[in-house]
Amino acid sequence: MLSKLDKKIISLISQDIPLVKEPFKNLSLELGMEQRDVLARIKSYKKNGFMRKFSASLNHKKIGFRHNAMVVWNIPDKLVKKAGNLMASFAQVSHCYQRKKAPDWNYNLYSMIHGKTKQECFSVIRDISKKTSCKDYRVLFSSYEYKKSAAKY
Amino acid sequence: MKKGMERRCGVSRRLKNKLSSLDKRILNRLQEDIPFVERTWQAIAGQLKIEEDILLMRIAFFKKKGIIRRISAVFAPRKINFASTLIAVKTSSNNINKVARKINFYPEVTHNYRRAAQFNIWFALVAKNKKRITQIITELKKDKDIKQILEFPAVRIFKINVKFPA
Repeated sequence: MLSKLDKKIISLISQDIPLVKEPFKNLSLELGMEQRDVLARIKSYKKNGFMRKFSASLNHKKIGFRHNAMVVWNIPDKLVKKAGNLMASFAQVSHCYQRKKAPDWNYNLYSMIHGKTKQECFSVIRDISKKTSCKDYRVLFSSYEYKKSAAKY
Repeated sequence: MKKGMERRCGVSRRLKNKLSSLDKRILNRLQEDIPFVERTWQAIAGQLKIEEDILLMRIAFFKKKGIIRRISAVFAPRKINFASTLIAVKTSSNNINKVARKINFYPEVTHNYRRAAQFNIWFALVAKNKKRITQIITELKKDKDIKQILEFPAVRIFKINVKFPA
């Protein structure tokens, strides 16, 4: 479905774009394409949902969000959709995924919660627990970031 | 503020206090899509009612300080025929940094965190296909420093919205 050219464009724009007045001009020169064609492709990726966004990634710690808790929940299958949508409605929840369970790991819903304090995280967790009536969950705070980078395509 | 307290709050608190209201407006705007036009920064500067050069200077400053990691396109891996997953590893606290370094060695690893739990390393992978993910897991399973490894592929995405109000 993706042409070789699409792959080249995707690979290039997945990394930091140059901080110059016309960044897409630099990219188009690198790709050997017209700038307007590069822009048209980028718009099409956004339109068809290949591309989620084209924006700045911030280091959340540096703007005050110092705590990130991955909370894993054991939610009955038939309630997963409702619970997932509820979790997603919290501003402090950046990611919410349903994932496969594993042996010794009876959790199927994952929510990533960011807070300026641990208390802020816990207050969201208590709220979610109450609203979903889910008492079977674990809170895994991150204690060190080993890597955070853009996917390489 | 007591001295000890200040140390604990670290750089982030002090940096945050230094952000002007303009800085915050810029950071909030840049977390949304940049316009797909030739003069993208000029367009954003216009929206913020500032000069393009000022915007470029502030972005350069944010990058230098590590507040902005990058400005780039984020794709949905599966929609462009890539595979992605989440993996948990159990290792001893003595070996944890060594194991994390070995995991980071794979260019497919996008996120990697130490977490306070029995499974103490959690990392995400984006790879060209499922076979490659299986291959990486198989290699890691052979590592004697890794006691257990579990894979949790996503079944459904309810939310991905990594935006932080500055």
